[in-house]
Amino acid sequence: MRNLSFISRRSLIAVLVLLLATCRPSPDALDRVLETGVLRVGMDASYPPFEYIDGEGNLVGFDVDLAREIATRLGVEPRFVANLPYDGLYDSLTAEQVDVVISALYVDPTRTADFTYSTPYFDAGQVLVMAEGTEGIDGMADLDGRTVAVEFGSAGDVEARAWARRLASLTILPCQTADEALAKVAAGEADAALVDHLSALMTSMEGLRIVEPMVTSEPYAIAVRREDRRLLEAIDEILAAMRDDGTLDRLQARWFTAAP
Amino acid sequence: MRTTKDAGDHKRLTTETQRTQSFSPFRRFLCALRASVVVHLLQRCKISQTSSPSPRLLQFLLPRLALALFVLYSLRPPPILVVVGPPQEVVTTNPLVGVHTRLTDEVEEWKIQRTLQMVREMGAPWVVEFFPWAYYEPEPGRYDWDHVDMVVRHARAQGLTVIARIGWVPQWARPEETTFTYLDPDGYEAFADFVATFAARYRGQVDHIIVWNEPNLSFEWGYRPVDPAAYVDLLRAVYPAAHAANPDVVVLAGALAPTLEPPGSPAGLNDLDYLRGMYEAGAAPYFDGLAVHAYGLGFPPEADPAPDVINFRRTELLRAVMEEFGDGNKPIYVTEAGWNDHPRWTRAVRPAQRIAYTIGAYEWARQNWPWCRVVAMWAFRYPAPLHNYQDYYTFVTDDFRPKPIYLAVQEYTGQSQRASESANQ
Repeated sequence: MRNLSFISRRSLIAVLVLLLATCRPSPDALDRVLETGVLRVGMDASYPPFEYIDGEGNLVGFDVDLAREIATRLGVEPRFVANLPYDGLYDSLTAEQVDVVISALYVDPTRTADFTYSTPYFDAGQVLVMAEGTEGIDGMADLDGRTVAVEFGSAGDVEARAWARRLASLTILPCQTADEALAKVAAGEADAALVDHLSALMTSMEGLRIVEPMVTSEPYAIAVRREDRRLLEAIDEILAAMRDDGTLDRLQARWFTAAP
Repeated sequence: MRTTKDAGDHKRLTTETQRTQSFSPFRRFLCALRASVVVHLLQRCKISQTSSPSPRLLQFLLPRLALALFVLYSLRPPPILVVVGPPQEVVTTNPLVGVHTRLTDEVEEWKIQRTLQMVREMGAPWVVEFFPWAYYEPEPGRYDWDHVDMVVRHARAQGLTVIARIGWVPQWARPEETTFTYLDPDGYEAFADFVATFAARYRGQVDHIIVWNEPNLSFEWGYRPVDPAAYVDLLRAVYPAAHAANPDVVVLAGALAPTLEPPGSPAGLNDLDYLRGMYEAGAAPYFDGLAVHAYGLGFPPEADPAPDVINFRRTELLRAVMEEFGDGNKPIYVTEAGWNDHPRWTRAVRPAQRIAYTIGAYEWARQNWPWCRVVAMWAFRYPAPLHNYQDYYTFVTDDFRPKPIYLAVQEYTGQSQRASESANQ
């Protein structure tokens, strides 16, 4: 009986040793990136100002600069695969054609079985914008009895119509563009505008301010293959550092500003 | 148009491939190892057990557990009752109005019914829907029609005319390591048999069938170089079988992607060249009408067509090719079309433009295209958000909130006035 127990203990230890042996880190894209000195970045260059081809044929945009900064901080060079159609972005990761996808990519919960996302670096959801000095508006619920300007047919319009059914009285002022909706607020013709975050940032906001928190959320993040956890951790650390040292703010200020 | 292809189809394909790839021998070894550890620990627990649980304790616990389970089961929410209801009729000012629905992956019956009800209430008499062969004939000769029956039943109850797009090859009908869009000539008869079985089963209910989708794109042709003559061979197999099964069936060919890809491109072939290639390969006797995809991109619907431009009226150039080959007596069915209003995509337009262009396209077809039977816009609603630019093609959100474009089309077809009149009565 003692012998049996001894054998059993030995077999258990052997199994544990085997388990520990198999717990070593699996191959990760980070190893390949550091070894080759190249970070391969997938994007669909048809989403200005995130990624697009400028008049001189150069690949430019917020995501392009973001990828360059991440590569620099990893100590490698970025290589852009920018001619991918949006529908093929995830396939390019699966086929290991690229290491990361940085392409104004919305965090998609249905993809998380196969891919993981970094912490978001931008939120493109809908925001409420009102005139500086306006009191009593902290969110959509405070718009009862007021007027909100929207771009006709936009996601903001759909959201405003949903709120109009909840509130006793909400007047929706449809406009042709987000700019026009914001101008209505500046001119005092509407109490607030409900537009997407980027449109708000890219329009002259003199005398206007964005109400926190955002009305809807549409976070953009970097996608990697699910097994590349160490690459993801490295990217998350870099994004946190870029947030802390103001680099992300500087990139936003460069790309998300109103045309002069 | 390559970038407006079915993202949902592609996504499923990707996921399936990944799952196959991810279950590697190494992972299987790990699973086996973990299982052996668990078994080992369980056996040790069993060996070390000196006494069994008290029978009195079991007597106390078991009835109470059974009662608790019964109560939980009784308190579960009842299934949503779906009643098909009396037959409805679509009332519209423009009988060409249609939409492409995406009910292929919609599981819940009430959502299928609600979708089709909202299509009718928008004033659209036509729907185009995808029926994948791979879903409904999982093994040779074994059919599972439940989902098709459900969709067709509700479409008919709403008074809608269904155009069935049939494609997607089951695993058993294609070689290993090929995609859903790959079909060898050896498999053409099997596909024709499926189409014939479908046509016979739904005779009088679904009398329009599109054979394949966008065969002028490589990824829709099994990631092979596209081949108009091979597609005509497919039509040659399908056409007589479908007509033998249902003499009233309208077999639609083409559904070509509007693209400017030149000959020799690995991605595909210009739709005008491809259609010419079809006629040169003898396609004419093997289809009753041409299915056309007519995306507008950034152009208004009335923008002039040109061979080097993709816009809504490119349809007229396809029509010219039909006439060039003496096939001008056949009708055209626009089974995909539309504009996208993503805020940043370079191929999108503003939401207000999308609304105006969409209604303009319906009206253009009504006034100028006597040979056109339907203009079906992509896509009415997705079962779940796709979280990309595709969501900006829809008319209704996944939770059935009508977008302003839906309300605008409803007004165009006279449905909103009808709704307010019935509300006042």
